[in-house]
Amino acid sequence: MIFVISFLVYFGLDLTPGDAVSHMISPELAATITPEKLEAMREAYGLNATFLERYWIWLTSCLKGDFGYSMAGGVAIKDIMVKTIPATLELSIVALIISTILGCSLGILSALKKGSATDSGLTVAGMAGVSIPEFFFALVAILIFGMHFQWLPVGGRLLPHYETLLDRIPNIIMPSMVLALALTAGAMRYSRSSMLDVLSREFIKTARSKGLPEWRINILHGFRVALTPVVVLIGFRLPLLIGGSTIIEQVFQWPGIGNMFIRSVRASDYPLVMMISLMYVFVVLTASLLIDLLTALIDPRVRLGKE
Amino acid sequence: MRHNKNIALSVKDLKTYFYTNNRCNKAVNGVSFDIEKGKTLCVVGESGCGKSVTASTIMQLLPTLSRIEEGEIIFHKDNEKINIEKLERNGKEMREIRGSDIAMIFQDPMTALNPVYTVGFQIAENLKYHTTLSKKEIREKTIRLLDDMGIPLPEQRVDEYPHSYSGGMRQRAMIAMAMACNPKILIADEPTTALDVTIQAQIFELMDNLKKNYNTAIMLITHDMGVVAELADNVAVMYMGNIVESGTADDVLRRPTHPYTKALLDSVPVLGRGRDQDIKPIKGSTPDPYDRPIGCQFAPRCNWRTESCDIMPEISNISETHEIRCHKYKEIFQY
Repeated sequence: MIFVISFLVYFGLDLTPGDAVSHMISPELAATITPEKLEAMREAYGLNATFLERYWIWLTSCLKGDFGYSMAGGVAIKDIMVKTIPATLELSIVALIISTILGCSLGILSALKKGSATDSGLTVAGMAGVSIPEFFFALVAILIFGMHFQWLPVGGRLLPHYETLLDRIPNIIMPSMVLALALTAGAMRYSRSSMLDVLSREFIKTARSKGLPEWRINILHGFRVALTPVVVLIGFRLPLLIGGSTIIEQVFQWPGIGNMFIRSVRASDYPLVMMISLMYVFVVLTASLLIDLLTALIDPRVRLGKE
Repeated sequence: MRHNKNIALSVKDLKTYFYTNNRCNKAVNGVSFDIEKGKTLCVVGESGCGKSVTASTIMQLLPTLSRIEEGEIIFHKDNEKINIEKLERNGKEMREIRGSDIAMIFQDPMTALNPVYTVGFQIAENLKYHTTLSKKEIREKTIRLLDDMGIPLPEQRVDEYPHSYSGGMRQRAMIAMAMACNPKILIADEPTTALDVTIQAQIFELMDNLKKNYNTAIMLITHDMGVVAELADNVAVMYMGNIVESGTADDVLRRPTHPYTKALLDSVPVLGRGRDQDIKPIKGSTPDPYDRPIGCQFAPRCNWRTESCDIMPEISNISETHEIRCHKYKEIFQY
């Protein structure tokens, strides 16, 4: 799978007009440079080989662990990744945890109090959270908490004087909250409908007929079953979180992958674009594997037979 | 009314109404009956006549938009009388009765078990909340219960999930769950409708044994007249939220007197009479519960109808055990 996609991405990049060399030389230089010199540069970068040859070279060195160098600045891609991945993971994991806990609990609450004012209020808030784009929330949050009250820093991740983990918390609050907002709304709607569906099932009546207390019926019998579709939803969000945080990373100047991706695309930095898109592919595939494993853990019907 | 010490549960003039879209469905409209210890009461009647609602009312397992309007449900626990209708719906006292004193098994064993827990866990839950047994004892008891219900290899089966059980086995597991705390009353709401005939017979045999061994009172809701003939000690025939005729199985099946009971028995095909037998369906259809006939509910479909039927008949006694709700019973009744 990953090979097919890497091939397609490579092929796509090859189809785009111009090559790395044409982006590397400034317009002034382009006026004076001789075609021979250009040709020499192309030869030096290995761009004159056929498409398949180039793909093969790229692929084999990738498998050897050599991800190449960024064309803008000549930094090893490995080093860029090492710097940016933790930043993105930090942001997305915090956002995922917040949104999952908040979304599920609000969803259950909404389902249990179906038809009440709480439920309607949460439904409206959920719809708003899903439909309003996150950059809007980001800007509003910056305006209110960053500029007006000046409670939280408006952006950035690490500042030179930050030493302990505690110093870094104020910086992550706003981006992660904004990122979590839309996800919470989605998770809430999802867990609400899933929970409502489960609560109307016969086994809930059975549980009640056994004289179990309500919390046990709702959480152990209800939510445990309602969890499966919610886990699938959250699992599918793992890659989205990394990709989707691109906008948030831009707005809050968060030095993560999303930010790097936009910069590399703008600079036509092919090796870097290649690596980042491959990483997305990798995350998507890992996430779906993870979902399968998690569903099997939650739902015994999915588990493989032991015999 | 018969008065004796053997009554496990008596229901008096019970009314349960459902409220939807500002309309009121009088699903159970003045039902009275007694369930005796160690006896089976079969409640029969066509779909929508209030059988299941009566059962749910006793367990207080009604949906939110319904209410017990009037009447009494008296549960005779040892020497104590508990008025179930006065208890809070999911309150502590009601929960203590559910599962331990009165247990229920449902129509469809396929959906009545939670798919994500082992059968053993679900049976053990009952014991955990109603007994003081230790974990080890609970497990032993669970295995013993499954064994009693005729489930092979109970030590192994106890840790399996419902999806690896067959329909009949699931219903056995349900019965094991219901019988876990030796309830005084077992309410079975069409327990075999979803099962095939051979399994049905096994399940009923199992229930009959339980009745004999533990002196459990059974309220069996069914459509199947054959089952009634086989198992019932007492029979109550329901129509549109009322019991129209009740009595011992002999009273009702051998000397059916209410026109509805007669019609119901006439509409049952009898095995061996061949394909040319005369099956008489009851003419007309059940009235709309929101637009009921004013008097006797069966009057519009009844051959014996007279003007007096525009007033709801009171309960009359044909014999000590045989009760009927019909104006014309004296003319119809014949030995």
